Amino acid sequence: MNLHSNSAVGSATNERKSLASLLPNVTLTEPANLAAATIAAANLPSVTAELVKDFAYRAATLVVRSYEKTFTLDYWFYSIDGSPWLRLRVELPEGIRELPSISEQAHAIDWHERYAEDLFGLTFTGHPKLGDFVLHEEWPEGANPMLSDFDASALLIDKEVDPQWQPEKILQTSGAFVMPIGPVYSDYAESAQFFLETVGEDVVRMIPRLHFKYRGIEKHAEGQAFDRAVLMAERFSGSSAVAHATALCQAAEMAVHVDVPPRAQAIRLVAAELERFRHHLAILSDICHSTGMIVPSADVDILEEDALRLSARWAGHRYLYGLICPGGVSRDFSAGEMAALQSGIEEFSRRADRLRRHLEITSSFLDRFEGVGVVPLANARKLGLVGPIARASAWATDLRIYRPYGFYGVAAGIGSPPLEAMESEGDGYARIRVLFSELFTATEWMRRAIKHLPDGPIHKALPDSDGEAIGYVEAPKGAAIHFLELSAGRVKRWQITSPSFVNWHGFHLAAENFAFQDFPIMMASFGLSIAESDR
Amino acid sequence: MPSWFIKGLFSPVKTTRFPKQPETAPGAVPGRPVATDFTSPEQAAHAAAQCPTGAIRAGHISADVNLNQCIYCQRCARTEPPMAWKADYTWARRLRANNLTPQPFRKSLHIRIVDTGSCDAVIQEIKQLSKPYYNMHKLGFFITPTPRHADVLMVTGPLTHHMRLALKKTYDAMPEPKWVIAVGGCALSGCVFSRGFTSAGTVLESLPVDVEVPGCPPPPMAILYGLMLLAGRVGEMPSAKPTIMEKA
Amino acid sequence: MNTPEIIFAAALAFCLAGALVSAWAPSQWAGRILAIFGTTAATLLLTGAAAVIVSHTSVSLTLWRLPILGRLRLDVDGISAFFMLALAMSFLPACLFSDGYMRRYIGHYDPRAFNIFFHLLLGVCIILLSAGDVITFLLSWRIMSALATFPITLEHRVNEHRRAGYLFLAMNEAGIITATFGLLWMAALAGGHIGFSALHAALVGTSPTVRWTLFLVIFFGFAVKAGLLPVSSWLPRAHPVAPANMSAILSGCLLNFGIYGIVRFDAVILPPISAGPGLLVLTVGSISALVGILYAAIDNDMKKMLAHSSTENLGIVTANIGMGMVFTAYHLPMLAAIAYVVAMYHMINHSAYKTLLFLGAGAVDQHAGTRHMNQLGGLIKRMPLIAALFLVGALAIAAIPPLNGFASEWLTLQTILRSEDFAPRFSRVVFGLCGAGLALTAALAVTCFVKAFAMSFLGKPRSTAAASAAKPARSAAAAMAFLAAACVVLGLGVTWMIPAINSAMRPLTHDLAAQALNPPFFNNATARHPLPAAFEKSFTQLGARIGAGVIPGRGLVVMHRGGSANPVVYAMSTFYMAGVLAIIIFVTWLGVRLLTRRRRVIVGEQWAGGLRRLSPDMTYSATGFSNPIRVIFKSIFAPAIRENSAVAVAGHFRTAITQERDDGYIVDRLFLRPLTATASLLSRALARLHRPAVVNAYAAWVLLALLLMLIINRIW
Ligand code: SF4
Repeated sequence: MNLHSNSAVGSATNERKSLASLLPNVTLTEPANLAAATIAAANLPSVTAELVKDFAYRAATLVVRSYEKTFTLDYWFYSIDGSPWLRLRVELPEGIRELPSISEQAHAIDWHERYAEDLFGLTFTGHPKLGDFVLHEEWPEGANPMLSDFDASALLIDKEVDPQWQPEKILQTSGAFVMPIGPVYSDYAESAQFFLETVGEDVVRMIPRLHFKYRGIEKHAEGQAFDRAVLMAERFSGSSAVAHATALCQAAEMAVHVDVPPRAQAIRLVAAELERFRHHLAILSDICHSTGMIVPSADVDILEEDALRLSARWAGHRYLYGLICPGGVSRDFSAGEMAALQSGIEEFSRRADRLRRHLEITSSFLDRFEGVGVVPLANARKLGLVGPIARASAWATDLRIYRPYGFYGVAAGIGSPPLEAMESEGDGYARIRVLFSELFTATEWMRRAIKHLPDGPIHKALPDSDGEAIGYVEAPKGAAIHFLELSAGRVKRWQITSPSFVNWHGFHLAAENFAFQDFPIMMASFGLSIAESDR
Repeated sequence: MPSWFIKGLFSPVKTTRFPKQPETAPGAVPGRPVATDFTSPEQAAHAAAQCPTGAIRAGHISADVNLNQCIYCQRCARTEPPMAWKADYTWARRLRANNLTPQPFRKSLHIRIVDTGSCDAVIQEIKQLSKPYYNMHKLGFFITPTPRHADVLMVTGPLTHHMRLALKKTYDAMPEPKWVIAVGGCALSGCVFSRGFTSAGTVLESLPVDVEVPGCPPPPMAILYGLMLLAGRVGEMPSAKPTIMEKA
Repeated sequence: MNTPEIIFAAALAFCLAGALVSAWAPSQWAGRILAIFGTTAATLLLTGAAAVIVSHTSVSLTLWRLPILGRLRLDVDGISAFFMLALAMSFLPACLFSDGYMRRYIGHYDPRAFNIFFHLLLGVCIILLSAGDVITFLLSWRIMSALATFPITLEHRVNEHRRAGYLFLAMNEAGIITATFGLLWMAALAGGHIGFSALHAALVGTSPTVRWTLFLVIFFGFAVKAGLLPVSSWLPRAHPVAPANMSAILSGCLLNFGIYGIVRFDAVILPPISAGPGLLVLTVGSISALVGILYAAIDNDMKKMLAHSSTENLGIVTANIGMGMVFTAYHLPMLAAIAYVVAMYHMINHSAYKTLLFLGAGAVDQHAGTRHMNQLGGLIKRMPLIAALFLVGALAIAAIPPLNGFASEWLTLQTILRSEDFAPRFSRVVFGLCGAGLALTAALAVTCFVKAFAMSFLGKPRSTAAASAAKPARSAAAAMAFLAAACVVLGLGVTWMIPAINSAMRPLTHDLAAQALNPPFFNNATARHPLPAAFEKSFTQLGARIGAGVIPGRGLVVMHRGGSANPVVYAMSTFYMAGVLAIIIFVTWLGVRLLTRRRRVIVGEQWAGGLRRLSPDMTYSATGFSNPIRVIFKSIFAPAIRENSAVAVAGHFRTAITQERDDGYIVDRLFLRPLTATASLLSRALARLHRPAVVNAYAAWVLLALLLMLIINRIW
């Protein structure tokens, strides 16, 4: 068992001692590679500070569970150096709804706390900004939907909203004003609101107001049969359907201790990389459109639609819905189908490479992205960014490489593993370069999985038993972490931590002091999804 | 510095020839399950049982599909015996026969899109409409950012609690005459998103919808067909009507 | 005593009576008294001045003979009368406006004191302008400056107001001392003559160096009063603190006295014989104009903005005077005449619209509780009449045809283009640069006043005070309506104004400008200076004779150059423009009416992206509107930005950002502060010498000074 607190020098035993010295009652679960400890709420900030500083742990998510009168809060941490996932549990006794905030120590948990505050009615003391997050101004007082006794099927009666209502304003300067954008804005944008605070010319601060699309799927899934939750996982953010369905299924499979057949794992890998390929093309298309360059846009657009059509020819659905199922995949592919897919992707990747080379020497294109929306490494670390955005700021996060799951471990072992695409500038152009490189690494992953596709069954039924686990994948936008608790094959608690949720949190801090006309370009280069964040 | 202009000039035309010719490119549409005749009542019942949303209704020895509820899980296609699957895209339906688009609007309709909680795939598919393969501008459909210029309100999503006000404001801000096209299973039946505290009713129940385009997500061709149907420039396909009508 | 004399005497009597009545009456009556006595005095003055100008007479009155210095006299010639006209035009509405306005001070400050000084100020101003000799002039000037300080600091309990008052007094005092020195030196050079007419004759033969020095001393002495750079520091401070009627007077007539001094002494008595002084005046004027409008454009305090804009307008006037001086030096009397006429025309225009705008700002301040544009907005709904009148002023000052500002700015820019007509390259370069500066000024003026009007009167109210602003008194609207009418008349009547100014300023214009600017051809008279036939023909075809018999002049102004074979003509008619504008507006209105006749108009909510409520915070602010200018001209403003990050950042969170931005006044930065710093350094050094321990050194200094004086005396 490897309990490195970080990959630096020091023997494994010493490290283990140190984690145990910080958390005396820590326990280890072998196959899940999970360290768990229960601590007192008061110790939370100090323990977190040490975990983040000395153990290189990153805050992954906060899973709150509500029982009749008590709460359990699981703070999940992970690291990219092979140390186990860490779960810090805090139990709130009856009558207590308050605990210290740790978003000062691990800023990535900021929005998670606000989420829990809104949906569970908990108070995180020391958090300077709570309220008006998931639930907006008209939401009835005291209706905390994630509480165990909240009836999800009941319709809500809106609260009377103050006619003078206005959102919070941060910039307190004479003449400062807010440019409100949304929730209905732009041509094709998803619904979200942005308040651009300015005194004219440059935007000093941008505050996103999300969750207009809050569909409460985590609540609605409670009590449903597990495979219903998989359908939801595919459909709450269709552009990353495979990733979320896989993460959820992996959580379930881990919870009920089922090993997915290798062939199914390999097919999942192929599907995930195909999805990533198509997803990145869509982001690149938005990026090209944001600069108004018609020919490159058309080029990427054609490529994107070709990838969609290839997906539909391969798996019957343009967005690969219905392919991932609990315990495996729902259909098998012949060698011919796999070969057709591979040759298609190889051709696309050649076309994409040509496009990349052309764009790289188009100065009017580069001018719009260089130095725009810069996220320095320190910010990426502080905010716990994930995915291509983090990688563009040289913040390593690729779970496929650092915490291999499914078939990735095998595929990485074939020859040298595909490198994580990394850039260091953290600006729009760096993100574009990361997106392009990931097209090529996706092709490489697929190539390996198809070449070494194992034989065997594609599916193994899951028993209707109890259990809980974390499932994670590297979704196209970054780490997607699903926590699932099953009870007799039904969902008891499901918590999605989507990369968009994490990165939107980072986006509003990256977007400071920028020119108004850069806003669409920054949005495009971040390529975030509202549907994925709002869930 | 590459000459994008020359590259553009010499790129082949990709745009669909619809409505002059039907679109037949493989993969452009996922098709759809259609009414199927089986040999025994058990088979029909089995097919209906596969469907997680109850979109399939078993008749005596046949089964029919209410496409509004279909979420394209393809389970009915992968069971034995499967439901028949038809590779078309002409499944949009007109709901308000008395609200036809008058002549002057038919060849130039401006559309405002409102997302009331749909997944990003639906938005992506709508975006495709203005991209080279579908190029709806050629057919006289335009996207406008302000409802003040819009003739058509295109709504997606299950109509979340938070989006009701914005949707109402958008609809109210549109000048008369106006039409509504609901796109995607989520706008029509809620898709997998349940009714309750987050959604008090679908778009179909909240606005006077003129044309509905089922699908999860509906492929661009289906949306394009829906728009042409709204503009009165293509006829409704008889097959789009379900043989077993859903309850009123 | 002839009629004008009686009228002037009556005006003075009313001023005095007003002051006496004010002292006696209760303070509630202050506004009413001012409205009665002040307005009557100003009306009388207006009539008298107009009579002098129209009748081409001059009034003169010998006061008494001083033992050594000679006769003191009052002498109202055309120039004086013209300045009196501007004075009266500004005083009349300001007094009328006071009726409702002074009420705001009752119970806080004593409006009676204000009243007394205000009345006396008008009287002293009349005497100042009619002064016919250096001594009377300087005496009344000094009294005028001192008197003006009191009304400015009416709200004397506010520290900032007192400081502004001291600065006003100090800087004007410095100006007076300089000017006094210059004028007395002048009198000395002229062999003791103190009468203006005698001075001119006596100074003809002085050496160029002496003339240059004299010119500089007098120019900068009076530039302080005119609020020109670099001695304008008092202006943006004194205006905002003064009550609105006083600010209006300050801008509308007291600044003009600076111009009066420059015209009277630098142009009439000491006409330039080389181009240098003129070019200097032109440059100072242009720079003042540009810097003034830049600061006006970014300032959000209505009155401060107007104050900066006064620097701009006085700069334009000064630039025109400078041009006139250059043309005089180059022996181009007709061009010089045009330039002087334009200068005076612009000055009186400025008096009209600036008084109007200050009164408007005062009405806003009084009834909306603030004059900070970021807190205003939507006032057009609360005070539509004031808004409409303010708009007239804003359009006029932004030089929008057919109003008066347009007429004089058009003429200014056209005059500058005439620099091609004389040879020296250096002068042409200076003219070119100044022309560019003035053109930029004109453009920025539009931005500035679009902001001023839009941010104050349009949109949503940005504060509760603005949302619940009270309806202003009728006297305010009446006063402003008078001035708005003046703006229109001065604009449309450009063909009447030019000959009037031309004859009033005869010593400078020699009656040449009117003929050049309003060729008789257009007045359907027998042409004394026939224009080329081809030009006449094409002009007739263009419709220049339409209405010639009915409306004489029709506001048509012509600038032409080139020979008779190839004339280049620029022509402008405010009258025709007004006509065309009216037709365009009417046709548009009719068109819209016809097109929408059968349509149902639905008034809906603003579209704000589905946002629940568009709060006033979400509309463009005045700061936002002018920020591009701040960014572009950053090096001039050299802003000090303070971000209070202690409050702003709670650990990783940024909860509230407070930013404060101070756009330092460039004049303070480059001139006033170094000056005061040097002065205090020097005084400290001197103070050190006074220490008792170094008595010897002190004695040595005294001796040295004596020695120096002896040497100087010797050489002289
Ligand atoms: S594809 Fe549609 S009809 Fe078929 S099972 Fe799935 S939801 Fe039901």
